[in-house]
Amino acid sequence: MARTDIGPPHYQEMLPPVIKENYGKWQYHEILRPGVLKHVSENGVVVFTVRAASPRLVSVDFIRDVADLADKFCGGFLRFTSRHNVEFLLTDEHQVEPLITALAAKGLPVGGTGNSVSNMIHTQGWVHCHTPATDASGIVKAVMDELYEHFVEMKLPAKLRLALACCINMCGAVHCSDIAICGIHRVPPTIDHELFAKVSETPSVVAACPTYAIKPNPKTKSITINEEKCMYCGNCYTMSPAVNIMNPANDGVAIFVGGKVSNSRKPPMFSKLAIPYLPNNPPRWPEVTEAVKNIVHVWATNARPGERVGEWIERVGWERFFKLTGIPFTDKHIDDFTLAPTTFRSTTNFKY
Amino acid sequence: MTDRKTPLLDELEKGPWPSFVTEIKRAGKKSAKAEDLLGQLEKSFEDKTGYWKHGGIVGVRGYGGGVIGRYSQKGEEFPNVAEFHTVRVNQPAGWFYTSDTLRKICDIWEKHGSGLTNLHGSTGDLILLGTDTSKLQPCFDDLSDAGFDLGGSGGGLRTPSCCVGPARCEYACIDTLDVTHEITMAFQDYIHRPMWPYKFKIKVSGCGNDCVAAIARADFTIIGTWRDAIRIDDAAVKAYVDSGMDISKMVVQKCPTSALEWDATNGKLTLCAEDCVRCMHCINVMPKALRPGVEKGASILVGGKAPVVQGAMLSWVIVPFMKLEPPYEDLKDLITRITEWWDEHGKSRERLGELIYRKGMRYFLRDMGLEPTPQMVMAPRTNPYWFWWPEEVNKG
Amino acid sequence: MVEAANPEIKDKVLDYLHKVPKAKSRDIAATLDIKKALVDAAIKELANEDLVEYLYIGTTYVTLKGSGEGLPKI
Repeated sequence: MARTDIGPPHYQEMLPPVIKENYGKWQYHEILRPGVLKHVSENGVVVFTVRAASPRLVSVDFIRDVADLADKFCGGFLRFTSRHNVEFLLTDEHQVEPLITALAAKGLPVGGTGNSVSNMIHTQGWVHCHTPATDASGIVKAVMDELYEHFVEMKLPAKLRLALACCINMCGAVHCSDIAICGIHRVPPTIDHELFAKVSETPSVVAACPTYAIKPNPKTKSITINEEKCMYCGNCYTMSPAVNIMNPANDGVAIFVGGKVSNSRKPPMFSKLAIPYLPNNPPRWPEVTEAVKNIVHVWATNARPGERVGEWIERVGWERFFKLTGIPFTDKHIDDFTLAPTTFRSTTNFKY
Repeated sequence: MTDRKTPLLDELEKGPWPSFVTEIKRAGKKSAKAEDLLGQLEKSFEDKTGYWKHGGIVGVRGYGGGVIGRYSQKGEEFPNVAEFHTVRVNQPAGWFYTSDTLRKICDIWEKHGSGLTNLHGSTGDLILLGTDTSKLQPCFDDLSDAGFDLGGSGGGLRTPSCCVGPARCEYACIDTLDVTHEITMAFQDYIHRPMWPYKFKIKVSGCGNDCVAAIARADFTIIGTWRDAIRIDDAAVKAYVDSGMDISKMVVQKCPTSALEWDATNGKLTLCAEDCVRCMHCINVMPKALRPGVEKGASILVGGKAPVVQGAMLSWVIVPFMKLEPPYEDLKDLITRITEWWDEHGKSRERLGELIYRKGMRYFLRDMGLEPTPQMVMAPRTNPYWFWWPEEVNKG
Repeated sequence: MVEAANPEIKDKVLDYLHKVPKAKSRDIAATLDIKKALVDAAIKELANEDLVEYLYIGTTYVTLKGSGEGLPKI
């Protein structure tokens, strides 16, 4: 039997010598060009970081490719970032350009630092998730193709953090991103009552509903759903395979904006609803890419230097955001969940 | 390689961004599983829906976490993905690897699975995507021989993760990698044998920039901070200004608490340390000139989560400042006490934040032995609906 | 966490799992009126002995080894 509970390899075994020797001694950094960082330690030692994009869903041969590059340029060490980028750490500045050239030959762009868009956090979608309302990798590829220039350049007012979740579970802190794409369902689930009686734990399914729309039905040993109360979150589906929330004719995506996790300047913010529905239109989701590009463009045009999307919107006001972006404001934008009244405007101060 | 046509997915091989479709095809040259995945995915693109069934019962001996069961609804059409389980491999803290270590993982995964991976999953694990039930144990045995272990899934501790921290960031106020590794090792049982009401996440960020989004998603959030004043290098400040930076506009005016003053005549930046909330903005803009103070530690927050079930929450401060030094006994003790409290009181699928919200922060603080402090709230309550403990009033 | 599990508790947990398709550790503890930490420790050993296994449906359950295979996957 295999050894259990050994935990991950100790991180120190994975650190390149320059990192080990200067661990905790870094003094400052500069961004030399998009995707290239220079960190200087208290000992005067310099390390150069080259950050390259990855599609996140990669083959083992991709990993072998980057491992080979790490052997050639970085003494056999590399790391990954929380946003699915690959980072190569070099001690010789003269190796930076050859590495970037080698990465380009593999189709891997270098960027994602400073006032740029970094790689998109995303989920599994149709590739591997069992509750998706949309795909993940497909939309990400389509959007990043369109925003490519903002990954390899740093022309934006501030950093731009995009994320995609294929359902409202919002795996991966999608709910606190500058622009978040989120898969949504739009019609209540259907129930296979016979199957439900066999495989489901009624109290767990009832408790899974955030709006108390589900009641046990003792007659059928199943449940009934109050369709007026159902907002299609799919939680009941997570708890019972007999409940089906998937509906290709109605599923699609929503776009939320203005969230962030950093405490810098303003405290962390949730993303807020901008567009309640766009259709699933594979393979390139043109409605979604257009909507994202439009928001990025309007923000980049109107924000002051250093303002992230949420900070810009707070300054100009949501009324101006909808006007400038041309996004229609609807009843869907007005909250009716638990904390709704805190979002209603209780002042006569507003703009037109 | 089959002569399968995938016109929709082929569209996603065009364009400058690296393509996951190309990667699935690369894996498909060697693996029938990856090849069938491509087929099923093309079908999803045609039909605009997913084709995976609920998980269930897959695992390795003795573990209740680390493997996500996946079965295809289209197993007859795509027999090689009829079973397509995910293996979560616990990453080394900070996501550093040697190339040889990665090659070992590649060889194991080529032998036992589809050859497709995620580097990395949102939780932090190295994700191996797609294998059969019968291959799980042999795959785990080989991973274990290579020095790896599985990460968390289900109602237990999810794989802790952290930012790059002191390994390559001058902002790091705590040793995020060491804290993460120590916690991971101390709580192996909670990771591998899920026994809690629901998932529990611990994320560790070295400063308020929070590069692992701890505050947004971790039930237990550790964020590096300092108690004394930001260190200012006057000459370096001047160098930024001389190089053309508008310090008033980009730094001073953006300070959220107006804690900075710029004396243009004398070229001097001064900080009112009492007013500083350590948001990181000025340091982010002038990393050469400004540094965190020297009395470093962490703020501990709890309750962060995504929407399911009762709505999204950001983590709340419960310990404004805690020294974090090996072996981190205070921290481990706090995590143990909090998870035991949650395990005792939480309903099924109720995250810590939801439990605290339902029961009231006062119960949580009392049971954890934490003193209420103003740092815990944005503002005191405005309503008159508070409770007194029985011993605080005269019931005679 | 308890170091070694009590054999009597392990037997009681096994008996209980023979009667139900699946159960949460907490419910087993409540039904048998045993401290949950002791039940958790018993399940840990039973899983190592390959007698029980874990099951994930929205949250984690335990079941007798092999009995989960029969549950439908939709």
